[in-house]
Amino acid sequence: MTETSTASGAAGTLPRQKTDSTAWLLITPGVIWMTLFLVAPILMILYVSFWTQTTFAINPTPTLESWRDFFTSQTYMNALWTTVRIWLIVLAATLLVGYPAALFIGIFVRSRILSISLLIVCVIPFWTSFLIRVLAWRPMLGREGAINILLQKFGITSAPIDALLFSELSVVIGMTQIYVVFMVGPIAFMLSRIDRNVIEAARDLGAGFGRIFTRIILPLSLPGVVVGAIFVSVMVLGEFATSAALSGRQVNLLGNIIVTQVGSLKWAFASVVGVVLTVIIGIVIAMLLRVVDLKREL
Amino acid sequence: MESRILKPLLGVYLGLFILFLYGPFIVLTILSFQAGPDGGPQFPIIEWSTYWYRHLFGMTEVTRVAPLRLGEALFRSLTLAFMTMVTATVLGVISAQAFRKRFKGSNVVFYLIVLGMMVPGVLTGLGISLLSTELGITRTWWGTAFVAHVVYTFPFAFLVMLAIFNRFDPSIEEASWSLGVSPIRTFRKITLPFVFPGVLSSMLFAFTLSYDEFPRTLFAGGSDLTLPRTIYATFAVEIHPNIFAFGVLTTLFSFSLLAVFGILMYLSTRRAKKLASQEDI
Repeated sequence: MTETSTASGAAGTLPRQKTDSTAWLLITPGVIWMTLFLVAPILMILYVSFWTQTTFAINPTPTLESWRDFFTSQTYMNALWTTVRIWLIVLAATLLVGYPAALFIGIFVRSRILSISLLIVCVIPFWTSFLIRVLAWRPMLGREGAINILLQKFGITSAPIDALLFSELSVVIGMTQIYVVFMVGPIAFMLSRIDRNVIEAARDLGAGFGRIFTRIILPLSLPGVVVGAIFVSVMVLGEFATSAALSGRQVNLLGNIIVTQVGSLKWAFASVVGVVLTVIIGIVIAMLLRVVDLKREL
Repeated sequence: MESRILKPLLGVYLGLFILFLYGPFIVLTILSFQAGPDGGPQFPIIEWSTYWYRHLFGMTEVTRVAPLRLGEALFRSLTLAFMTMVTATVLGVISAQAFRKRFKGSNVVFYLIVLGMMVPGVLTGLGISLLSTELGITRTWWGTAFVAHVVYTFPFAFLVMLAIFNRFDPSIEEASWSLGVSPIRTFRKITLPFVFPGVLSSMLFAFTLSYDEFPRTLFAGGSDLTLPRTIYATFAVEIHPNIFAFGVLTTLFSFSLLAVFGILMYLSTRRAKKLASQEDI
């Protein structure tokens, strides 16, 4: 950076003890904040899930009743299954829809400025309120919505399709549009780091694009896919607003159950659902991290 | 290779993809100009009008469509976003500063901080509201919701600053220390000007994430609504194009914020460059 950088400082020779204590001094406020307002609340959820629920209150008498209720109720097991299904579908959809876009931005656009501009163009919709973006899908997908109007205008369908809105499909479409950018960003970033010479060399040796893609591009972009998948998974699994706005109460995710249970003051039960959700997210992240060793890749 | 076919094909695909991202916003903008007060939030447009924009500002006659109470909510959301921005950025800068040297337990601390952006808002919100109920603390947007917002945004600021510090040459600081300048003065005079673009990015992240934050605020925010919660309240009842008009206005507002950020960023990188060239002399 500058010429002065050759001057060696005294800091490098400081004893390790001293740098450790300065580091801890600096990190303490953050650690305290996260312990008090993140770790303690999550432990509280776990604790309360074993409390006794009466009609409008909870008391700390330990019981497994809420847990039994959860695993024996058809409604809640359905919600669990729906959450996992929607998560898998949205994850696959964001990958399928996002990967080609990332491929174009990361590999085929030569100019760095252009590829960054394209990414910015993809991010701009985020400056509209999340809830309003969700709500905007109603006039898109409704019976007299934009998509039905276009489909009929071009003679693709003769009658409006009802199933577009207030169904599982509308929730999947809405979530895919909202979260796909979190997939495109990391993948495009990893793709842009691929050394062009490697691709050139493979091409000179006679490899077709299919072979270059499966042997070079795809494996090298995998860390990006995993980071994107973690983002999308965490957000979709904790969702409730999109399903509340677009499913017409047809789709009940675990998040929706927490909201309704808290609304009717069933804290212990909401906590059970919260713990289940935490466990699912933990498993998903652990599985994704097994695919790629992120620490080594980044 | 087949790139002569593949490249234009993917280019067209990217165009469609961007249309997919912008589609709802385009429709929303069109419908915000629906005739009022009888026009609904759907096609066709009965008549182009600015009725719903005037409705937002209470410039129309009273009808059955209740006006959104956005003034107070906007004030709360902006105040909350500002408080969150300052706190999260300060925490992010000092924590990342600590991480410039490996220290004992740094791995655990790293995961502890990053956990804040990984745990879904529903869970943070639920946990904080349980804890505050148990401790008898009243939930408010400036108290319980604020700490939840910082838990969410602090990791973003931290990661941004970590990336910035990684690219910052520590020997400049060491030179300053060896010349007898105190660490705090060195940080203020040398380190901060260099990393300032990163500080600005952290601030932007924290502000926009908090301004639009919804699940944590829903659980931990108490009875006074912030902006996203006011919008959420309309989900349950019939929606009217006024919410779309509001969406258009807030987006324009966000863009002006973004423009301010862009200008500040430009000025600060120019200052950093100037500083760097001064040191060359």
